[in-house]
Amino acid sequence: MNSTKFKEGLGKAVFTAAAIICIIAVVSIFAFLIIRSIPAFSKIGVIDFIFGDRWSPDRLDKYEDAQLSGTYGIFTMIVGTFAATVGALLIGGTIGFFTAVFIAFFCPEKLKRPFSSVINLLAGIPSVVYGFFGIVFLLPMLANFAPNNGSGLLATSIILGIMILPTVVSLSKTSLEAVPKAYYEGAVATGSTHTRAVFGIMIPAARSGITASLILGVGRALGETMAVVMVAGNAATYPNSFFNSFRVLTANIVMEMGYAGDVQQGALIATGVILLIFVLIVNVIFNLISGRAVKKAVAVTAEKGRTSGIGGRGIRSFFSNIGEGIGALAYKLKTDRIGKVISILCGIFSGIALVLVVGFVFVQGLPHLITNPHLLFGKYEFASENITIFPAIVTTLMAVFLSLIIAFPIGVMTAVFLNEYAKKGNLFVRLIRGAIDILSGVPSIVYGLFGMITFVRLFGGSSSILAGSFTISIMLLPTIVRSTEESLKSIAEGRREGSLALGAGKLRTIFRIVLPSAMPGIMAALILSMGRVISESAPFIYTMGSVITSTPDGFLDSGASLAVALYQLSGEGWYIEEAYATAVVLIIVVFGLNLLAEFIGNRLNKKLRGETNVKKR
Amino acid sequence: MSKKDNRQTPENFGQSITVRNADLWYDDYQALKNINIDIPERKITAFIGPSGCGKSTFLKCFNRMNDLIDGCRITGSFKVGETDIYGKINVNELRKNIGMVFQKPNPFPMSVYDNIAYGPRTFGIRKRSELDFIVEDSLKRAAMWEELRDRLGKSALGLSGGQQQRLCIARAFAVKPKIILMDEPTSALDPISTGKIEELCTETAKDTTVIIVTHNMQQAARISDKTGFFLLGELIEYGDTDEIFTAPKDERTERYITGRFG
Repeated sequence: MNSTKFKEGLGKAVFTAAAIICIIAVVSIFAFLIIRSIPAFSKIGVIDFIFGDRWSPDRLDKYEDAQLSGTYGIFTMIVGTFAATVGALLIGGTIGFFTAVFIAFFCPEKLKRPFSSVINLLAGIPSVVYGFFGIVFLLPMLANFAPNNGSGLLATSIILGIMILPTVVSLSKTSLEAVPKAYYEGAVATGSTHTRAVFGIMIPAARSGITASLILGVGRALGETMAVVMVAGNAATYPNSFFNSFRVLTANIVMEMGYAGDVQQGALIATGVILLIFVLIVNVIFNLISGRAVKKAVAVTAEKGRTSGIGGRGIRSFFSNIGEGIGALAYKLKTDRIGKVISILCGIFSGIALVLVVGFVFVQGLPHLITNPHLLFGKYEFASENITIFPAIVTTLMAVFLSLIIAFPIGVMTAVFLNEYAKKGNLFVRLIRGAIDILSGVPSIVYGLFGMITFVRLFGGSSSILAGSFTISIMLLPTIVRSTEESLKSIAEGRREGSLALGAGKLRTIFRIVLPSAMPGIMAALILSMGRVISESAPFIYTMGSVITSTPDGFLDSGASLAVALYQLSGEGWYIEEAYATAVVLIIVVFGLNLLAEFIGNRLNKKLRGETNVKKR
Repeated sequence: MSKKDNRQTPENFGQSITVRNADLWYDDYQALKNINIDIPERKITAFIGPSGCGKSTFLKCFNRMNDLIDGCRITGSFKVGETDIYGKINVNELRKNIGMVFQKPNPFPMSVYDNIAYGPRTFGIRKRSELDFIVEDSLKRAAMWEELRDRLGKSALGLSGGQQQRLCIARAFAVKPKIILMDEPTSALDPISTGKIEELCTETAKDTTVIIVTHNMQQAARISDKTGFFLLGELIEYGDTDEIFTAPKDERTERYITGRFG
């Protein structure tokens, strides 16, 4: 009796400890970044740092020096980051929104599912592949009419726009489809056409969800690193035309971290802090908006419309007349129909974008991959022209293995704690959920920065697979926790009760009943995490290594993962064919994993449905 | 508010309905079987019958809401006045002329004002003064003006269930329909709200044809002039309400209204 009690207590303690690790991770990211950036902030001066528009670091600058010989102002990059984000939102946000409208309301029924999963696949493509596509396809195309090689704000906005597309589409689509069908019927019953019902009722009803999707897209664009680095040009200047080299905050960190001196490194960490602040602000806005009741939003805007419209006199009635005029004109021009046409065009464009990115890389890379087995399975030769990505493949596999061993137990146990032990709404639980929310919002380069100043030092001062895996593990936590929790939630309460009623303890119920039932969902989370490790590059460059050296012998060796290898190969410009082939490998692996996860997820759904049928009988 | 009422009312749709040999299939399942009916203008006609008997399905044939359902096939002749509504007509124009109120109140997530103005705006009315007039007129007809005049800017979702349903009726009024279809409009409401809506039906029938589907036989007996009894997709009996309820011709009708099945 006593030993069972002890086991139960121990179990609970272990699950709680896992959850606490999530909080510790968040706290230490903030603590380390802030502590390491304070000297730089005070040496450079907060105002000079944020609003100074000259960035010319001197790597010999030391904190002990009375006078700094370099200047450290990141204002050009703040402006650059905002410009690129706005550009991405204009392109990806608009197209994404209309694509969602297309899928939800104008797409032929048969095409709906394949189209949605194609858009989801777009989300899985590693950001280096987008960047690579930018280098080999977009830049040469833009160079035809650009004064430079095509890099700059326009190219960055287009690439970022395509990257945020899936986020915007899937979230907008979900909220559009969640609008009650009764609204549609009500609209049609008063004589609305399908198109007017969509644009007059359905879209306004989904407004808050659509806004949330756009904000999430902004968050993604703000934090994106590698793809931007590859097409922005990266000179520390303002983006004062569509085609001049400029730099964003994330790029600043990646470009200079490798060889930074004392003060310079502090300034780069401070750059990370500023970036983190921006991302957190966006996340807070996101949470506010997605949490706000649709009802409330509607009441507020309706009130506004009413007060501005009625009792108009003088100037106000002048404006309301103009409003009426525009409304009447819009009616005459059949804006609804224009909206429909735009939706269909955007839907087609999104489809083409994916086919183009994947197709172009495949057509160029696949022949090389097939005809050159040395590339995949060769042995590394020093100073040879004969490149092989075999070491990168080994490094990637080792990193996948190690990071999952670290992150998976913690993530699953945290999810178990949240779903099985935690009392809803208590402070500790809210802290954990908050921590997980924050973790999912932190840009990948900030993880890299954090890993570099903690794990790399901890494990001997130079980058290693061990340090890289620890870094990415933290990044994986939110994904694992959320999807595990999702599948834990979907288990019928009756099963737990059944087990408990037979006298089984909580621990036994969890291990024998709950976790096995949730297994398909947990497996899907595992596979998605693998995909994540394989496709990330920014967190690895300075924690795991960026050189395609000999095959690693152990976890303390350093090496480039596949995604990092693609970045290196495409950057140097000499190994473009090898880069294509590497991109093909990445796409195949990531697509394969995504499809597998989807397959397993579907099986889970089927299984659950089967069980509810049984229960009904 | 004294502007004249500019809503166009094209006279091509009549107010009576004539149906001959109507059949309706959902894929292979026949939901309506050879229905013939003459619905008089400016009267209240009630359809009664047990769940799944096809009365709502039949109602939705009149404004072609069944077009929205995949695999739904309709044959036979449906005439509103002289117009064949399954012939070459503008469906949106048809639905404007034949309003509908649903089982569950479905106000749009907008203000009270915008809910009512939605229909007129659909048909190109943008002038504030005209819209103000229509909103006030519609709410007055629905006997809601007094309770809502100060809440026009508030969200319609904040109203009570009964108010929401009456708002939906007012919303239907706003496009000046000649016929109003009501699909169990009171089944989700309390007795007091139900009473108000019944009053409204009687009032409406002075210049509009009202067709109401109901589960509630007392309701049919209380308010309707004509009653049709449906069973398993067939129109078993149709006639004056008094006759149906006092001297039904068909044995099945009698068994239903005396509560022996359904």
